[in-house]
Amino acid sequence: MTKFQFLNQLNSSLKGLSSEEREDILQDFEEHFANGSVEGKSEEQIADSLGSPNQIAKELLATYHLEKVETTATTGNIIRAVWAVIGLGFFNLIIVLGPFIGLAAVVFAGWASGIAFIVSPLLLLIDIVIYPGGFEWFELFFSMALCGAGIFITVGMYYGTKVLMAQFLRYLKYNVSLVKGGLKNDE
Amino acid sequence: MDVQFKKGVLKLCVLVLLDKQDRYGYELVQKISDQIEISEGSVYPLLRRLKKEEYFTTYLRESTEGPSRKYYKLTEKGREYLHELMQEWKVFSQGVNQLIKEGVNSD
Repeated sequence: MTKFQFLNQLNSSLKGLSSEEREDILQDFEEHFANGSVEGKSEEQIADSLGSPNQIAKELLATYHLEKVETTATTGNIIRAVWAVIGLGFFNLIIVLGPFIGLAAVVFAGWASGIAFIVSPLLLLIDIVIYPGGFEWFELFFSMALCGAGIFITVGMYYGTKVLMAQFLRYLKYNVSLVKGGLKNDE
Repeated sequence: MDVQFKKGVLKLCVLVLLDKQDRYGYELVQKISDQIEISEGSVYPLLRRLKKEEYFTTYLRESTEGPSRKYYKLTEKGREYLHELMQEWKVFSQGVNQLIKEGVNSD
């Protein structure tokens, strides 16, 4: 691979990064090639020891998406970050996607049950409107108790979600720094 | 050697090379690949990550033979982190060495 091919491939794999960031990355590699050729190495030799530009790009993208989650933690950003880390290698598919689906299910279930509990008096009201004969005081008290519990669960989920997300982010970062990406013998 | 294993240690290698002097990217990569077989390109994503974590800063300096070079300079935070990593490494490698010694002698 020539320098031009290497930089070209790297550049096109880095789509999604800001042009400023991309420029800076390409500059680093440009410099690497320049320093290598001062030492008398050919472009092919240098590109060969650098490794696959796609793998390098994957690693850069994973870091970038993780950073974005840290500044603005929208659902879209989180999913993009998870996706980027998974892209680093097959191994990550299992150790990242598995926990992610598990956590997402727990968070979703928590919110869903909290909200369902809160609106349970409302559901009872609808029930009474539809079947006026079937009213029992027990149902009213029970639904009010559920409503109270629902408020607790929802408040708990609010903080719980934040903590879980922060922990999961740390886990993702740990993966980027540890699991394969750009080292030799990992095509 | 195991890819994941090497990658974990790469951070320590980069930081320790910058402990006594500032170096430029190519120099760092060569120093490491002289000792350990790595895919050289993977050092750059690591450098960017460590810079963003404020373990070092960069500056450009003109060179006599070619374009200007980006130098990496360890910050105080980076130095503290390096000492932490070195301590961990010492404990870890001593443990492994001890096990190897016992394993070899038990034959």
